[in-house]
Amino acid sequence: MEQSNQTSVNISQIACHDCDLLQKVPQLRVGQTANCLRCNAFLFKNQKNSVDRSLAFAITGLILYIISNMFPLLSLRALGTTQDETLISTSISLFKADMPLLSIVVLFTTVIFPATTLLGTIFILIQVKRDTFNDYTAPLFRFLRSTDTWGMLEIFMLALLVAMVKLGDVAEVIFGTSLYAFCLLILSLTMLSHSLNPHDVWSKLRRDITQ
Amino acid sequence: MTPAITAKAITARDAGFISCHFCSTLSKVPKGTNLKKSELICPCCKSTIHSRKPNSINRTWALLIAAIILYIPANTLPIMTFTLWGDGQPDTIISGVIHLMDGGMWPLALLIFVASIFIPVLKLIILMLLMISVQTKARWKPQDRTALYRVTEFVGRWSMVDVFVIGILVSLVQFGNSANVTPGLGSLSFAAVVILTMFAARAFDPRLIWDVLETETNVDNTANTKTALSNEDDKQMVKP
Repeated sequence: MEQSNQTSVNISQIACHDCDLLQKVPQLRVGQTANCLRCNAFLFKNQKNSVDRSLAFAITGLILYIISNMFPLLSLRALGTTQDETLISTSISLFKADMPLLSIVVLFTTVIFPATTLLGTIFILIQVKRDTFNDYTAPLFRFLRSTDTWGMLEIFMLALLVAMVKLGDVAEVIFGTSLYAFCLLILSLTMLSHSLNPHDVWSKLRRDITQ
Repeated sequence: MTPAITAKAITARDAGFISCHFCSTLSKVPKGTNLKKSELICPCCKSTIHSRKPNSINRTWALLIAAIILYIPANTLPIMTFTLWGDGQPDTIISGVIHLMDGGMWPLALLIFVASIFIPVLKLIILMLLMISVQTKARWKPQDRTALYRVTEFVGRWSMVDVFVIGILVSLVQFGNSANVTPGLGSLSFAAVVILTMFAARAFDPRLIWDVLETETNVDNTANTKTALSNEDDKQMVKP
C-alpha cells in the first residue's frame, strides 16, 4: 500500500461525522453549541474555561480514584464473618471463579480504562495549557477518545446499588469507606466529560501542522 | 430556526475532502489518488483516514450475527448460581427478573429487565433495520434513522450493569459452603453480546444512510448554533 502525506487541510469548514455534510465552521460565543444542519448531530461547543475546568475535574478524579481503590466499597456481614468488596476484587474473584475472560472485561472497564482516561487527560491538558505538544500527544488523545465509552464506572455504580438492594434482604450490607469517594469520583468523571471539549484540543493540534 | 433554502447539500466526499474519524480534520484528497489502493494519513492525528468506514456493511453484519448467535446461550444458560447450605439455585437472566418480581422488588426487576433484555434486543433490531434500510437504499426519514443510531450507540453500554452485578455478588457472597455465588457461562455469553453489539454499532457508518440522498436537503452552509438558555457567560466575556 502506498502512503501519502501530501494532503492539504481545510480549516474553515467542518464535515458532520454522522452525515458528512460540509458546512462552515461557525464562530461560537461562550455557551453556544454547534449542531449539524442536516442531521442535528452535535459537532462542538464553546465552553468557558473548558481546559482549566477539565483539568481540575481530572486531577480531583485521579485523587478520588486512588482513594476508591484503597478501601472497600461495600462489605457484607453474615454468619459471623465479613466479606469486603473493592473495585479490583470484582475481577479477582471472577478470575478465581474460572471466568478469566469475564474478569478481564471487568478489569478493563472498571479499573484500567478509567485510570488511563484520568492520567491521559491530565497529561494532554497540561500540554494544552503549556502549548507544547510532542509526537505522542495526538495518538494518546486518539486512544483516549476511542476508549472513552469503555470506561464504565457509572454503570458499575448502578450495579453496586442493585447488589445492595438485592443483598439487603438476606444479609447486613455495610457501606465501605471508599463508597463516598467512589460517588464523588463518578461525579467528577461526569463533570469531566461534560467540560472537556475535544474540538479545542484538536484545533490546537491542527494549528501546529497548518502553520 | 429554518435554514435558507439554497441549492443541494454538498458532502465532504462530493467536495473531495475526507474528514478524520477522530479529530475531524478535513483533508483534501490529492488529485489522481486512487482511494481503493492508497492509504491516506490524517496530517493532524496520524490515523488512517477514510471517506466511509471500510467494509462497514460486512463488518457490522458479521458482528451482529455473532451477537445474535451468542444471545441464545446468554438467555438459556445460567448467569449465576446462588448456593445456600449446599442447595444451588441457578438463575438465567429471565428467571432472575422473575425472582425479583416475586420478591416484590419491582423497580429493580424493571431496571434489570430494561438493561438486560429490552436494550440488547432493541439494539439488535434497530441495527438490523438500519442495515437493511441502507442496503435497500431506503430514503425514509434519514434524520430519524440517524437519531435511532445515536440512541443505540449511547445506550448499549448500560447493558453491562447485569455483568457487574454478577461480579459484585460473586466477590461479596463468599461464605464457604454455607452461602456462595458462582458465575455461569450465561454471564460470559451475555457480556460478549453487549461487547459485540457495541462494536457493531461502531462499525456501522451512519453516513451510508445519507449517501442515497444526493440533493433534496435545504442547506445554508453554516452549521446551526444553539444558544444556551442563559446568556450570562456572554456578558462576562465582554468584560472591559
